[in-house]
Amino acid sequence: MHGPGSGPLEFLGSRLARRRMSKDSEKQKQARDQARLIADVAMRKDRQAFVSLFGYFAPRIKSLLMRGGAPAEMAEDLAQEAMISVWRKASCFDPARASPAAWIFTIARNLRIDVARRSQREKVYAVLETVEPDGPEQPDAIITASQRESKVREALNILPPEQLEVVRLAFTEGMSQSEIAEALKLPLGTVKSRTRLAMTRLRQKLEEVR
Amino acid sequence: MTITHHPDDDVLAAYAAGTLDDGSAFVIAAHLAMCGACRSAVRDFECIGGVLLGETEPSRLGRAHDGAVMQELAAPQELRRKLAVTTAPDTAVDNLISIFGQSSWKWRGFGVHSADIGVPVDNGMRVFLLKAAAGTRMPQHTHSGVELTLVLKGAFQHEFGRFEPGDIEMADGDIDHRPIVDAGSECVCLVAMNGRLQLHGLVGRLLQPFVRI
Repeated sequence: MHGPGSGPLEFLGSRLARRRMSKDSEKQKQARDQARLIADVAMRKDRQAFVSLFGYFAPRIKSLLMRGGAPAEMAEDLAQEAMISVWRKASCFDPARASPAAWIFTIARNLRIDVARRSQREKVYAVLETVEPDGPEQPDAIITASQRESKVREALNILPPEQLEVVRLAFTEGMSQSEIAEALKLPLGTVKSRTRLAMTRLRQKLEEVR
Repeated sequence: MTITHHPDDDVLAAYAAGTLDDGSAFVIAAHLAMCGACRSAVRDFECIGGVLLGETEPSRLGRAHDGAVMQELAAPQELRRKLAVTTAPDTAVDNLISIFGQSSWKWRGFGVHSADIGVPVDNGMRVFLLKAAAGTRMPQHTHSGVELTLVLKGAFQHEFGRFEPGDIEMADGDIDHRPIVDAGSECVCLVAMNGRLQLHGLVGRLLQPFVRI
């Protein structure tokens, strides 16, 4: 009889867990480094720091916008525009509130809304950015942005495929719920309930650190 | 302010993904201005976008762009109109209205006035302010489309609960309700809706031709 934790399966399991853990801490380190680069841009107008951020994010934003239906050239122009916003708004970045990737995602998201010729809506988001929190924003002080990101990543990793699919289509392809319903030939209600289940899973994961 | 009725998570997720229609996004933004819990949820959901952005396969950048971007960095920054920072829900909505504009109040039947907000519509979604006198009893109705209602002032209640400032109600054809405004104060709501109200009962059917909501 093997004792707990001594069998080959357990050994493999713990190695996998360790590998996953080290991948996660790698991601967390990357997020911290990126946050530092943004701070350098904000404080010293550090162009070298900006070039590093550009090199990582611009090609990914371009992909994101192309998935959302923008032609390559337009996606590239917009990716540049997004990065110029990063340069200009760097001082608004609050590492306690968002990870660099999440923050840059919101910039790209607002640009994508522009692409869809719904340019007015960016104003709605702009208003929201300027509205100061009314009342406590949940006990976020105890969870850092990089903890949040790693929990969100964990939650995405364990989502059932059908839930992950609707989440991906919304966040990376920029599809509305009814567009997703049409694409997957599902009732709108199913898209909504799958999204809600996914968000519940995410909330549960985040509860672990709150 | 205690908010008891929040938007569903799938709506907050769509807001975070940037895929909600303009009208709904407007009402959700106004709710978020009042609700720390939902702002926090949206921030969590935006993190999904961040994680997926990080996992996105990078595209090759085609043109020599560094020069142009660097030049742009040196350009003087345009001064963005800074909106008044506020915590009061009324002012948050005032901010939104100051950007989008509001038409004058129009009488809509049964003690109700409405004023359109100049949010550009898609999906046939209209955004308007609705003002009902204290004690107004709306007729029993359902909706041919969806309706998001955010209470700004006063309160109303119906079969499914009581709605006070900051509360949001999401209704569609499955919800059949008969809101009654509190006797003490008029009630002002921000509404995004597509389709029309559908009134019930004999009186309702008689009134339907006159109801313009």
